[in-house]
Amino acid sequence: MKCLSRRTGYPPNLTSILRIDLILDIVPNMPVRAAVLPSLLEVIRLGVEYDGITVLDEISFAVGRGELIGVIGPNGAGKSTLFKAICGLVNHSGEVEVNGVHCHSRTDRMDIAYIPQRSSNDITFPITVGELVLAGRRRFHRWYERPAAHDRDEALCMLELVNLPGMQDRSLNQLSSGQLQRAYVARALAQNASVLMLDESLSGVDEPSTTELFEVFNRLVENGSTLLIATHDLALARRRFPRCLAINRRLLGDGPPDVVLSIDVLDRTFGSAAPA
Amino acid sequence: MTAGLVASGFSTRELFHGEYLKALVGACIIGVVAPVVGTWIVLRRMANLGDTMSHATLAGVAVAYAAGANILLGALGAGVVIAILLILFSASQRLGHEAIIAVMGSALFALGIIIISRIDTTDELEHILFGDVLQLTWSQIVFNVLIGGAAVAVVLVLFSELRLASFDHVQAEQVGVHVELVQAVLVVLLAVVVVISLRTVGSIMSVSMLVTPAATARLVTPTLRRMTVVAVVLGMSEGVAGVALGQALGAPPGATIGLLAAVVFAIAYVMTLPRRMPHHHRPFG
Repeated sequence: MKCLSRRTGYPPNLTSILRIDLILDIVPNMPVRAAVLPSLLEVIRLGVEYDGITVLDEISFAVGRGELIGVIGPNGAGKSTLFKAICGLVNHSGEVEVNGVHCHSRTDRMDIAYIPQRSSNDITFPITVGELVLAGRRRFHRWYERPAAHDRDEALCMLELVNLPGMQDRSLNQLSSGQLQRAYVARALAQNASVLMLDESLSGVDEPSTTELFEVFNRLVENGSTLLIATHDLALARRRFPRCLAINRRLLGDGPPDVVLSIDVLDRTFGSAAPA
Repeated sequence: MTAGLVASGFSTRELFHGEYLKALVGACIIGVVAPVVGTWIVLRRMANLGDTMSHATLAGVAVAYAAGANILLGALGAGVVIAILLILFSASQRLGHEAIIAVMGSALFALGIIIISRIDTTDELEHILFGDVLQLTWSQIVFNVLIGGAAVAVVLVLFSELRLASFDHVQAEQVGVHVELVQAVLVVLLAVVVVISLRTVGSIMSVSMLVTPAATARLVTPTLRRMTVVAVVLGMSEGVAGVALGQALGAPPGATIGLLAAVVFAIAYVMTLPRRMPHHHRPFG
């Protein structure tokens, strides 16, 4: 594929991650790899209030490169608000750091991509899949500049990466739910985002499409991207995520599914409505 | 169409000379500019803002008329005021944009009515409300070409920004698009369309040229670029045909254009109905 780096065989935006991996691989058995590299994303005592009501209360956690994290919680627990606050789309207290750098504005957080709930965008809008993915390249341009040829190549490359080759001329409403989610993921990758936050993206997606989506997610994780995926499907969380965050206004659990999906944590997260 | 006009005693020569030529040129200008802006108004589901703007400009017109200033600039000023107020009030999460737009529109319309009731008006204000494309002067046409051309140029330059902000404003903000600024620019462009409409279809009917051709194009085209082109072709055709038909039938040109555009929309709506029916709905499947 012409859009992949000749040296590494990966897309250009992922080659720097691979270089870090190569350097670390030169020093075998380096025990403090996680400690040497700063967290990719660090959320410190993050809080959000709407009209005096606390929606999120002092949430803190850190994620490294190449993590696949399920964010679980009941409807109204604040999962979407957490993602929006991390992206700087809602006012919040506390701090967000990306690559060890404190984020002051939205533009500091362009390494984080937010993929909204499926229902939040009008998919009958006259925009093609290619144009959607190309929208991710906007961060590299000024407002009056048009995307260049290499931006188009990058967009096509990202479509291949998410198993949507040759779909660039299709309208969004011609895609299945799973394909649409993959198109949004391609846009986030075109944005060169290293953290992807998917808000309830798996709701209403059938099992084969979910399997195909996770094939793409796992490939991205292997390439160094980190994905946080909000879901209220606990069976899915148990099967698919190596790490889960349980949220209901506060962070109530953080760890492997065996720990976070224990009866104790689920009781505190879902209350009396805890799913079986 | 031409045969019908000739049969009704209206000569082709008459149509292309003097005031008719100016009327046709005026209809063409609004037929291009209104659909170019209207495409975005339809896509962003802001047709009610167009309606509000058409009413609110009355305050600007009335103030300018009372002060002896250029009424077109007064109308443009009202549009800019609305754009600024929308930005100022957009921080309110309790009220949606629709409520704020309705309050502002009705307040400015009421202000316009009160001012007009206090001053001696001539036919000119009636022309502003209902339009009279046959009274267009060449200087007004040049003014419309200049501000209309500027509006089209702004849309072309901001095409990508408008698309991003209209489809997914959250992602647009993330990648550096100033979504609120784009919205404000669109409101000012809307005011420009209303100003151009004042002398042709009138302020009240301006929303018809703004929304109807673009809405028709939305029904029959799948892509944004084609939608814009089809809306412009429809806008120009309906403008020219409306002027000619209105003249032939002795009906006001502005109202004729509006009615013609609505008929074309209705035909497109009916013709595309089968395509828009959900294919997957099988009651016994």
